[in-house]
Amino acid sequence: MTATTYYSDEVVACPPRAGTLYDVLELILDRGMVIDVFLRVSLVGIEILKVDARIVVASVDTYLRFAEACNRLDLERDSRSTTVPELFGGGAAKAVGKRKVRKAADTVGETVRKVVGGGDEEPEDQDGDEAEDERRERPKKRPAPARKSSRRRVEA
Amino acid sequence: MGTDGVYVYAMVRAGTVLPKGLGGVGSPPAPVRTIGRGPLRAVVSDAPPALRARRRDLLAHQELLMRLADGGPVLPMRFGMVAPDEATVLEQLAAAGSRHAAMLEQLAGRFEINVKALPAQNALAALVAEEKDVRRLREAARRRPGYEASIRLGEAVTTALDRRAAAAGQRLVRDLTPGARAVAAGPPVPGCALNTSFLVDRGDTDAFLARARVFADAHREQMELRLAGPLPCYSFVPSEARPVPVGGV
Repeated sequence: MTATTYYSDEVVACPPRAGTLYDVLELILDRGMVIDVFLRVSLVGIEILKVDARIVVASVDTYLRFAEACNRLDLERDSRSTTVPELFGGGAAKAVGKRKVRKAADTVGETVRKVVGGGDEEPEDQDGDEAEDERRERPKKRPAPARKSSRRRVEA
Repeated sequence: MGTDGVYVYAMVRAGTVLPKGLGGVGSPPAPVRTIGRGPLRAVVSDAPPALRARRRDLLAHQELLMRLADGGPVLPMRFGMVAPDEATVLEQLAAAGSRHAAMLEQLAGRFEINVKALPAQNALAALVAEEKDVRRLREAARRRPGYEASIRLGEAVTTALDRRAAAAGQRLVRDLTPGARAVAAGPPVPGCALNTSFLVDRGDTDAFLARARVFADAHREQMELRLAGPLPCYSFVPSEARPVPVGGV
């Protein structure tokens, strides 16, 4: 079995077929066989991971970033064109939107990290936070396609 | 045997060879062994003290199960299952062994492929072009910029992104289901519009993955695809010792 996992819009292969930890975390934690007579260890930290992701996704901050990215889109000139999506290929939005959203995610993640770090005295907590890092890293996997937006400008 | 109990990774067929050079949870990684009699073995290690959902331990659990699944059928345990001692594991194997063995044979030669669909955050231009409400709010926000207008616009964008991803995700499930033996809707994952696992025959996994990618390419303005697999069949084993309906959440 040597299947390779690719992301849909990337040329680069993402080598582990298991995806990133982000992709399989809920399978490892929430699926799989449970046997009543075995104990499930108390897994401090799981809820924090989930809460972190939820905050990033649902925050007002994200709304504002989206609005800003959306406002910066320069659609006016081509608004009559039926091929707006094809012409732009999402490139401009990609460059702006991704960077903005990533920034929001980073900021919120940072806040959560501080809160978590402050509330947990266990010295090994660094280790527990790594899964959180993996989640936050996820959007960074893709390089910002700056070249696309410049190409768009030429075409327009 | 450690005093912190026995960590249980999986049930496998008797005769299964453990992957070489692969430790279990804990630091340093605990040596992994099989225990049991009859047709089944439990793959276990000593449980480390103060076990938590650390990245290191999650990956150790996952990696071991992946390697085991490459060698034969596996009933993967959920992360963090710890028996008080080996005797408890052996009793469990004796009591439920035949049921587990039957399930193991059902899963032989099959793998889980997990499919997630995320909103296509890259495709804002397409979204604005295709969504009337978003366009209207965008124009309103340009005429009268402000916090309120921005919040309304951003919320509309988020809602539309989710809705488009969910709709495309449902179409994707319909598209992929004929290529799978079973389908299990997964628990909601924050940020994902779809989280569904498919049970796929070993020989069909490449075609299945290729089909998913083709669909994703054709719908890149609605959803971003995340594929994981072939994986051990996490979503196709009962989540309790009691039988549960197949595909139940």
